[in-house]
This record gives sequence, C-alpha cells and structure tokens, in this order.
Amino acid sequence: MCSILRVEGLTKRFPAFGKGSHETLAVDAIHLEVQAGEVFGLLGPNGAGKTTMVRMLCALISPTAGRAWINGFELGPDNDSIRASVGVLTESPGLYRKLDAVTNLSFFAKLYGVRDIAGQVDKYLRMLGLWDARYQLAGSFSKGMRQKLAIARALLHEPPLVFLDEPTASLDPEAARVVRDFIEELRGRGRTIVLCTHNLDEADRLCDRIGVIKQKFLCIDSPARLRRQLYGSAVRVRLEKLAPEYANLLRGLPFVKQVEASDGALIVRLEDPATNNPTLVRVLVTAGAGVRYLEELSVPLESVYFDVMGQQDQDVRQEAKA
Amino acid sequence: MKMRPHRVWAVIQKEWAETARNRGIVWMMALIPAVIVLMVLGTDYGFVWAGQSGQDLKSVNMPVPPNLSHLPRHEALIIAMNEQFFFYLLLIPITLPVYIAAHSIIGEKETRTLEPLLASPVSTGELLLAKGFAAAAPAVVINWMAFSIVLGGVALIAPPAVLGYAVRDVWIIGMLLFSPLLALFSVMLGVLVSSRVNDPRTAQQISSVFVMPLILISLMVLMGKAFLTVPLVLAGAAVALAADILVLFLAIRVFQRETILTRWK
Repeated sequence: MCSILRVEGLTKRFPAFGKGSHETLAVDAIHLEVQAGEVFGLLGPNGAGKTTMVRMLCALISPTAGRAWINGFELGPDNDSIRASVGVLTESPGLYRKLDAVTNLSFFAKLYGVRDIAGQVDKYLRMLGLWDARYQLAGSFSKGMRQKLAIARALLHEPPLVFLDEPTASLDPEAARVVRDFIEELRGRGRTIVLCTHNLDEADRLCDRIGVIKQKFLCIDSPARLRRQLYGSAVRVRLEKLAPEYANLLRGLPFVKQVEASDGALIVRLEDPATNNPTLVRVLVTAGAGVRYLEELSVPLESVYFDVMGQQDQDVRQEAKA
Repeated sequence: MKMRPHRVWAVIQKEWAETARNRGIVWMMALIPAVIVLMVLGTDYGFVWAGQSGQDLKSVNMPVPPNLSHLPRHEALIIAMNEQFFFYLLLIPITLPVYIAAHSIIGEKETRTLEPLLASPVSTGELLLAKGFAAAAPAVVINWMAFSIVLGGVALIAPPAVLGYAVRDVWIIGMLLFSPLLALFSVMLGVLVSSRVNDPRTAQQISSVFVMPLILISLMVLMGKAFLTVPLVLAGAAVALAADILVLFLAIRVFQRETILTRWK
C-alpha cells in the first residue's frame, strides 16, 4: 500500500481580523498518512478545524507551517496539480441554480480537462439517479438531489482522492442513506476518501480509520481498535443452560480477562475476539455446554468520541491549572 | 501567468448561460441601447420631416460646427445631433457591463458557488479574464448592433451627406477599437472591486467612480472643449489597452482566494 496523502506538522493560524479579534489557531501541527483505497473519517466538533484542514489539503488556503503531499504533489509548489487531481465536496453544494444538471457538470468537466465530457456526465447522472432530472434547473432540486449533483461534480474527473465535507448534513434520512450507499460503493471501487462528518454512525459504517480532531488529532485508528483501546473487547455467549462451572472454566483461560453472568448469558472480556473466539467455543463445547450463539459486544462510536473529547477537556483544564 | 484557452472559454460559456437566464440584466442590456437608437432615429426623422416641409429651423438654438455651415440647416443639425448621440453609444460598453461585472465574484460568493470554482484547477488569471470578457463582449456586440441599426436607419431616412458624416473614420475606429477596450477596462475594474468588497451595490458604486473621468472627457467633447479626431481616438485606444492590461494584472494580484473564502460572510 502506498500513501496517497501525507501530512507533516500542518498548521493554520488565522490572523486577527478587525478590532477585538485575536489570532486563531485552527489546525495545530497535524500529522497524518492516508493509504490508497482507504476511507478516512475526520470527526470533531464545530470549529475543530476539519473544514480548514480540507481546504488546506485541496490547495484552497495555504498552511502557516508544515508540509503535505497529495497524490504525490507537494502542497505549495504544486497547488495547480493538486487542485486538478483531487475531488472536493464542499460544505455547501454550491451549484449554479439557474443552470440545469448537465450544464453544471459539463462546466466543471471542462475546467478539469475531462476528455469524454458527455460520457462522464451521463455516467455520474445515472449512477446517482439524476438521469431523469438532467435538464432540470439545479435550483429546482431537493436538498438530496443537490447533494448528489455536487458529489457527481467532485467525481467527474475520476480523482484518486476525494474530500467529502459533511456529505449527509441536513439531508433527510432517505437522501442521507442514498448518499451513504454511494460512498460505500466508491469505497468498494477502491477510491480513497477523506470524510468529514458529525455523524458517528456514518463514520463507523464507512471509515477504515477515523481521526478525532480538535485543532490537533486526539486519536487516530480504526473504530474497532479505538473501542478495544478504550473499552477492551467483550463477547456475549448465550448457552442452553447457564452453569457457574462454565464461567470458572473460562476464567482459567490465559486470554480471558473477566467473566460475568448477565441476563442469562456470559459476558467474557478477552484480548482479541477474532483469535480467541474459536478456542473459547471449543472449551465450552468440550465441557458439555450447549452454545446457542456468540456475539461481539459493540460499544457505540459515540461513547468513544465523547470519552476522547472528555479526556481532552480534562487535560486542557489540568494544563490551565498547572 | 498560465492561460489555458479551454478553461477561459468554459467560464465564459457558463457566465453567458447564467446571464441569459437573468431577465433583469437581459432587459437592461436591451433597453438602454434601444432607447438611444430610437432617440437618434426619431430626432433625425423629425429634422428631415421639418426640413422637407419647409419649416424654419433657424430658431433651433443649437450650436453647429463651422465646417457644416455649407449644408442645409436641417442636415447640419442632424449631423451635429448625431455626433452627440454617437458618443452616448460609445459609452454603452462602459456603463452596461459594470452591473454584470460587479456581480461576477460577489454573486458567486453569495450563491456559494465560489468555493467549488476556486477548488477547480482554473487559475486566477483565467477566471478574471474570462469573467471580464464574458461581461464586456455582450455590451460591445450590442453596441455594434445599435450602431449598425442607426447607420441603416440614417441611410434610409436622412440625406446622403448625413450618412457620409456618420461613417467617418473617427466613429468606425471608435466603435470597433476604442469601445471594446473601454468596455474591458470598465469590466475589469468591476471585477477587481468585486473581489475586494462584500456587496454588489458597493462594487457597482466604486467601479462607477473609476469610470467618471471617462464620462468627464465625453462631456468636454460634447461641450466643444475637446474634439474627437482619429489620432485622439487611436491615442485613447492605446491608453485604454494599457489600462486594461494594468487592471487585469492588478486584479490578479489583489484577488486573494484565502481571504475571499475565509473572511467573507
């Protein structure tokens, strides 16, 4: 795997603007590497620096410090090449409301130097279910349709790396689902995506790794590993008949950290469910336990997020006290 | 400064497609030249009719240049009037596109289309040149059409001597060369101002202030304080060309993508 995006100490400070305002540190010495084909989620509260970071990586605004390489081009000297090689869905769809869908897309296809303009426009209008509305003015589109059209615009030139800034924000559940399914489809096709979102379930479902950002990264890892780091791993084993000797038997296994009975099942905390589960089941079956089913217990990503943010707030308070 | 024609042309086509769907602008662009054309032809027809019906035009209190004194009074008056009206035609490309140009950047910001546009590989030079040309070209074409209609009308209703004065070098060069360069100057000013302020009306007002010196010169010509000659028009065209290039470079220098994206509310 090769990294398609590499960021070293990227920092952005906005100077004071007008009386009474102060210099703002929007992004603080960020380091990041995203591999080709990966979906990376940027999570964080409003004002955490997500959009600023995306704007810097799309060569829209310049960093105050640090370096970054996008698709092999260096931020700064190769800004034109970066802009030509990435796709970006901005916070607002930003469509020309008095132009129809085809004209909106064709315009950007020309700017990006797409060779088969009609072919690419047709392809994405069909993929996103906008074919029947292709000659309707973008201003007459619903929010969901506008967002889909904006996504089509970001992909027209087949960029290897796509930045999606809150693609499902303010969409109704149905439209959000269509957009999410499409992102999942892109992921299946091996497209590298950086996804800014407030929707933690969306990040959990779509992202290979997530980074929780508040000016700087508070943590970066896969949602599963983050859960494991914070909460460990647990499985629920439902047996035909729950007997205390089964729990004791499991406690004797080297990889088991804790066993407790709850709601007619055994909750087993262990090191790595993927490796340990077969042994666990074998031991129980050998001991004569009827294993009905075994499931991994999942902590919602929301809990991980709030724990990380809470820890950061605590650190800031302690630093301030010190 | 990189200029890739296909990108410039793409922006121009988009601007025209949007302008064509803006009824207010289309009406304004059609109405002002139509009024001037009607004024020219109406006045000419009035004097022709008065001359042919033997009315005494000595009472018309209007200065007639000495070089026209050998012509019948009504013909001399028509020519003197046309000279003034042609100046108004020359000013169309200065005044009309300012409105479009003032909306060019601010309009994109207001409709939130500016960020995706700036995220594309279009360079600042390409963007500003395209926006300038897209605003100026319709006004110039309208101006040429208005001038052609006036010439056709004059040929139909006025005596041949009047047409002879209307198709003088000074007006042909003025319309074909000076007028487009003035239009581009006016538009580039509008684009420049539009990229530095937040409100289209402010942009229009500020760019109008910059156009005032040109209007003052035109008034001096109308009052007989200055005379429009071929060398003067050519010199004016050269100055306008230099001003166009200067303003384009200035506009590119002051156009800050980052400021526009992060500070405009």
